[in-house]
Amino acid sequence: MSLQKGFMPKLIIDNIAVEVAEGVTVLEAAQSVGIHIPHFCWHPALGKAGACRVCAVKMVDGPVKGIQMSCMLPAQDGMVVSTTDQEAMAMRRQVIEWLMINHPHDCPVCDEGGECQLQDYTIAGGHGLRSYTGKKRTHINQYLGPHIEHEMNRCIQCYRCVRFYQEFAGGTDFGVMGSAGRIYYGRVEGGQLESPFSGNLVDICPTGVFTDKTARFRARYWDYDMAPSVCPHCSLGCNTVPAARYRELLKIVARRNDAVNGWFICDKGRFTNSVVNDPARPRYPLVDGRKVGWDEALDNLLLRIREFGAVHGPESLAIVGSSRLAMEAATLLYRLFAGIAAGSLCYFTLEEEADQARAAITHLNDATSASMGDVQEADLIALVDCDLLQDGPMMALAVRQAWRKGAKIFLVENDVAPEAQKGLPFEWQSVSLLSDIPIREARKPVIICGRGKGMQDVAPALTSGVKLAYLLGGPNAFGAALLSAGHGATTLAQAVASGKVKGILAVEVDIPPELLQGISFIAALDWRATAIVKAAHIVLPTTAWVEMDGTYINNEGRAQRFKKVMHPGLPIMGLDPAGHPPRRHETAPPGGEPRPAWQVVADIIERTGTERDVQPLSGQWQWLRHLDAESPGQRIWQNMKQVK
Amino acid sequence: MSVINDTKAIVIGMWTTWKHIFRRPVTLQYPEEKRIPYPRYRARIVLTRDPDGGERCVACYLCSAACPVDCISMQSAATEEGRRYALWFRINFSRCIFCGLCAEACPTMAIQMTPDFEICNRDIMNLVYEKEDLLIDGCGKSPEYNFYHHAGIGVTQRRGAGLEEKPPVDVRSLMP
Repeated sequence: MSLQKGFMPKLIIDNIAVEVAEGVTVLEAAQSVGIHIPHFCWHPALGKAGACRVCAVKMVDGPVKGIQMSCMLPAQDGMVVSTTDQEAMAMRRQVIEWLMINHPHDCPVCDEGGECQLQDYTIAGGHGLRSYTGKKRTHINQYLGPHIEHEMNRCIQCYRCVRFYQEFAGGTDFGVMGSAGRIYYGRVEGGQLESPFSGNLVDICPTGVFTDKTARFRARYWDYDMAPSVCPHCSLGCNTVPAARYRELLKIVARRNDAVNGWFICDKGRFTNSVVNDPARPRYPLVDGRKVGWDEALDNLLLRIREFGAVHGPESLAIVGSSRLAMEAATLLYRLFAGIAAGSLCYFTLEEEADQARAAITHLNDATSASMGDVQEADLIALVDCDLLQDGPMMALAVRQAWRKGAKIFLVENDVAPEAQKGLPFEWQSVSLLSDIPIREARKPVIICGRGKGMQDVAPALTSGVKLAYLLGGPNAFGAALLSAGHGATTLAQAVASGKVKGILAVEVDIPPELLQGISFIAALDWRATAIVKAAHIVLPTTAWVEMDGTYINNEGRAQRFKKVMHPGLPIMGLDPAGHPPRRHETAPPGGEPRPAWQVVADIIERTGTERDVQPLSGQWQWLRHLDAESPGQRIWQNMKQVK
Repeated sequence: MSVINDTKAIVIGMWTTWKHIFRRPVTLQYPEEKRIPYPRYRARIVLTRDPDGGERCVACYLCSAACPVDCISMQSAATEEGRRYALWFRINFSRCIFCGLCAEACPTMAIQMTPDFEICNRDIMNLVYEKEDLLIDGCGKSPEYNFYHHAGIGVTQRRGAGLEEKPPVDVRSLMP
């Protein structure tokens, strides 16, 4: 085997010639030409373990011969591999049968059933009837907290969970114990898993040892409503697949995007379904607390805005968006602002959040913006005012991957509470100033700026080759900052401080109560039961992100499309007191009134009479319309010549 | 010659006709006269119970997945002791084609077909059966089978006390 740089071993797999990079395993080489070799323990993010023995192939010719584990064997020049060889197939079939010796007969009551790798391979291997007559080993399960269910009897000892939990995610409270046939994956004592990434055990387990307790016994894979989506719970924009059934969001799993979240998501993104299923969500248009139809509500809104304008002047009205508002509605806010001649347009409520997002759009460009993929490849990382586990847990996981590869991590001492740094899954050095860090000596340095005040000081450290990442306030904070800068918008805090705001049209925004003093008119568009929705005179219900198509621009300036997963409406469970679904037919689901925020804003603009047939994402944002939800997303700089 | 052949054909034909006129009729005067179908006849679907009286259905969704006309729907849930069951279970018999694929798919022998084919009704909503209409107090065709005794995960018995199971291992043991 030659070690010269750029050497590409050539091998033949099932009569197909393959050329791969050095170090790539035979299993990956086969995958690159579309040949799927079964595997349990191998995982693209975790690498090999050689524990399951199910990826056996026959080496017909070349440097090694005979039955080999394709995940353990680096591809070498001259290898001739057969995956369909009788001997290899018999080996794989027997391995499956042997793994099934202790596996319980409980697929009907297992939540993994239907999306179980072990089930798939058992059927693929043709193992339909048990011929072994011995008894099965059993285990005592542990309580692992409110999110994850443990069923050790199903375990096939592939070591994926412990490799993820300890090596990849840096957890210390979960591991493997026992020996021989007693191998046990769990905690020393039962209790809640401490890692903020523990939910990935559900995705990574090839069978049903770890299942999502929040969706326990609710539905099967083939019945889910699913679509590619983006997580809205922080600014990182991790890719997800939410799964819904009967108008209820049941669970969220990770979707691979190597530039953003890799294969995993954090527990905050995975287990925060309850906001969508919240029975207190605004479901109907309300005028002064009275349920009305959409037309009446919108007419009333326009009437109230005119009345308000006659009393206080139209310039006393503020239109307020937020960093959690999708691009579609956010781009329309300016047209609404012009249409009703309002006084203030705000994309941010508080000064701090706006400053930080402004810093991000000022300092970041295609060359300087660090994706989480870039963070994983960095050799020096500076954390400035970060509360990583609060504001972007997956960033902490990315930093850990860099640290595992030997990157130096520096933490600039700051005013973020020290306990916020406690659970960080990597080791770091504290420095008092950013200038104390030897950034110039690093090949791929990355500075990560959190939400504290210190992020203003990074500008001097910016030399060529330094990449930057910001943790912002919401899933579309970057887009909101671009629009805010483009339209010369202020923050609500500033507008209120100037004393001229008397009325607020709040579009999916949380406003602290101190900013609402002296406000005589509030109209709120939202899908969450926020304080402002409760205080509003007119409430227009909007759809949650899983109930519409939309676009977020994440912290690194990457625009990502999310698709509609489910129809809005009250969950079927609980609709009828008899426990079953109602026994009458209706054309529309009850509680299905919410509309996407952009559509409501477009309706209001149309009613002002200034524009007809209002469509979102026009002008310089038109390229966002063609964004593919299945793609890794597109950075704005690749599509917009001048970003302001 | 054609006259002979034609006459022969008519006579043979009329012979068959007259023969049947004097035969005993096979038609039953339904509904006055009724015929008992065989036990394996595929008609009205029921949900059975296990020998201990528990609901056999674990709401695994296999019957609804197998159903070619999508007439079965349900919602699974867990009881306090961890037993999976159907919170509601609905079969729309106005859509059902009685193909029996659901009964074949059922891994717990819960869903079974009975010979009761007389379920016509004037109101179509009466053909939408809920769980209380489907669940019977008996085991049906497989009187011994109890899924949870074979499942291997406890629930109705102590862990490791089911059939074909060893007692739970002691993880901390050092013995081979």
